Amino acid sequence: MSGRMLSPWLTARVQFVLAAIFVVAGFGKIVDPPGFAHEIHNYKLLPGVAVNALAVALPWVEVVAGVALFSGIARRSSARIMGVLLVVFVIALTINLVRKHPVDCGCFGGPKIPKTDVQRLGDMKFVIARDLGMLLLVAQVLAATRREERDRR
Amino acid sequence: MRRENPWRDAVALMALACVAAAVSNAVAGPERKLRWIGSYSASAPSSAATPGPGPARPAAAVTPAAPEGAGKAFAPHPNTAWVEISGDDVAALHKSGNALFLDARRTSLYRLGHIPGARPFSVWEADIDDRVKGLFAEGRDQSAPVVVYCTGGDCEDSHMVGQKLYFVGFDNVLVYRDGFPDWEKRGLPVDKGDAP
Repeated sequence: MSGRMLSPWLTARVQFVLAAIFVVAGFGKIVDPPGFAHEIHNYKLLPGVAVNALAVALPWVEVVAGVALFSGIARRSSARIMGVLLVVFVIALTINLVRKHPVDCGCFGGPKIPKTDVQRLGDMKFVIARDLGMLLLVAQVLAATRREERDRR
Repeated sequence: MRRENPWRDAVALMALACVAAAVSNAVAGPERKLRWIGSYSASAPSSAATPGPGPARPAAAVTPAAPEGAGKAFAPHPNTAWVEISGDDVAALHKSGNALFLDARRTSLYRLGHIPGARPFSVWEADIDDRVKGLFAEGRDQSAPVVVYCTGGDCEDSHMVGQKLYFVGFDNVLVYRDGFPDWEKRGLPVDKGDAP
């Protein structure tokens, strides 16, 4: 990445955006863990016994990573956690898109209005594109923080 | 600024998240709480609206829809967990008063409106297994019809409740295929609030 793309000014804003998205997404699920468990179950990728543990823990991982990135406590670690989560989300959505199994993404909690299967499949493509865009933001933070560390040595 | 140790910090963040999740779940009310180990059937039937092959049904749940017709008797089906029935059959059963009705939707939706006499039995809430055990402990005739419904369409919650009831011995679980939206569309009575 070029120097301008890794500037502290840009990095601070990217961190804020990523942190805000993860905290909002996490709290959207924390308010209704059974609803999120339902969404995870609908993906049909996990055994039933694992659904609840993920529904309880994953939103808090998002919130903790978001708060850590925002506060600058562990920027590289939180950005890596976000990167791994985004890759997992993209894979899960892509598998269901390929097998034409419509799911509500559940990214910010349960759906507020019922959707048709066609709408769901369309939304899944949008969410995959959005997650890929967020992965670019994660890459920016990781590259910028790596350069900061190198410059400090 | 201190030097980051990415692996150590990542593990610390994950551990912190797990502690926060455990505390949050411990203090949650009954409608928000989850058991850490889920007990859902991972192979509930595929959506009727979903084209192509879906996940395989468990052998016990592979069953055709019951034949249509008003005023018919619903015989127990010990080899299948549940049988789907139409809105006409559900309306007839409700009128006869011979069937127990269970609402598999979330309790918050149940409060907004449910079939009169139906009990809340959300499969996603932490007390579902206690509710199933409680129903078993009532000593009801386990071959009497039990109608379970959710929102129809691709909703599988009623099938999952049916599976749980089947495992404790209920062998006449009837799933309302089109669910509560169909009931409302028919203009049939609806009760609101926490009471069945």
